[in-house]
Amino acid sequence: MSSKRINPTILVIIMLGIGLQITFAHSVSTNIVVIFVTCLYLCYCKASGKLLILTSLYAFPLALGSWWSFIMFGTGDVWHTAWIYASRVYAYLYLGAIVTLTVSVKNILLSLSLHLKLSSTFVYGLLASFNLLGRIKHQYKTIRYSAMMRGTTYHFWNPSLYLRIIIVALNWSQDLAEAMTSQGFTEGAARTLTYKDNLPKWQWGLATLLILLYFIFSFLVRPW
Amino acid sequence: MQTVDHKKKGWSVKDVIFLAIIAIFFGIIYQVWGFAYYAIAATPLKPYANDLTLGVWIMAGPLAGVLLKKIGASVVGELLAAAVEMLLFSSWGASTLISGFIQGVGNELGFAATGYKNWGKLGLLLSAIGSTIITFIWDWFQSGYSVYHIGLLVSLFVIRFVSIGFFSGVLVYWIKKLVNRSGLIK
Repeated sequence: MSSKRINPTILVIIMLGIGLQITFAHSVSTNIVVIFVTCLYLCYCKASGKLLILTSLYAFPLALGSWWSFIMFGTGDVWHTAWIYASRVYAYLYLGAIVTLTVSVKNILLSLSLHLKLSSTFVYGLLASFNLLGRIKHQYKTIRYSAMMRGTTYHFWNPSLYLRIIIVALNWSQDLAEAMTSQGFTEGAARTLTYKDNLPKWQWGLATLLILLYFIFSFLVRPW
Repeated sequence: MQTVDHKKKGWSVKDVIFLAIIAIFFGIIYQVWGFAYYAIAATPLKPYANDLTLGVWIMAGPLAGVLLKKIGASVVGELLAAAVEMLLFSSWGASTLISGFIQGVGNELGFAATGYKNWGKLGLLLSAIGSTIITFIWDWFQSGYSVYHIGLLVSLFVIRFVSIGFFSGVLVYWIKKLVNRSGLIK
């Protein structure tokens, strides 16, 4: 990982620190600043442009729906409100993207375990399950096809669908946990790591500064 | 001797993997039927789409609760589902994780109100009520419900309760009954 990038832990802190405040802020301008800055960082990290455009298009119905619903059902200054909530959708989206599109799942989890002491049970449990992603997708199809063979179609409101899912999850989690234990994984024990993750002190400062700046502008200055 | 302690009360790696696998399945289900949500969400009826479908997004929490019967299982279950969703599929970005936590807390409060003794009908009913109220308060700020007409708000609240009541209450109860009958989890 390039050392000129922001550490994944710091990215998560910025994401949550600003994300939480966005919920209570009532400003279009600060939303736009968040969108602009996060997009700059995404470009700097050379995040996949195709993926970025796709997710932006995917979020468009949400932004449009929010905007439109306030024009139709809102009270007070509906135009201002409509733009706040439409821009908020994208502020959230890109704020999430600075974490998910610039760092791999593995690096996020390992970094969190190093710097925020996220328990290794969760870190390695999650990593193990993410590695099963392809298989789980395949299994979902298998479950539905085997039901069709018996003449039933599973919809998402069918309890039997979830029973099959739970059975698979029970079996696989048992097998994986045993496999991990037999490979020397011990819950709660100190671990040696080959994973290196630099977190220069100035990045903590950067996170604090950004979160504070956002707070001052959104809640004290309160631009339009 | 190896270190698997079957009587351990806290979180074991098996529990985490179990919930994470279920969360990934949920992610796939959301993806498949999310199209219906998007079709309504692109219109002024978006708040209805939110509240009508909310129960499905919340299911992971109470399901984790009734399957593991642990303090904190609903919050952790819902948070895991949200984390998986954010890392793999979500178009809500940063708010996914925060909302997941809020939803989990709502469910957790319901089970906590029974002193973590009732994981059946009463626990699920209270958890549905808890998450309806908590998520509604959250949307008051996050989704701007504070500026909607009162008439719309009342209908949204009722729709939200019905959705959460069915998916996170009745459906989870049916699933739990099936699981019990199969004898998979003691």
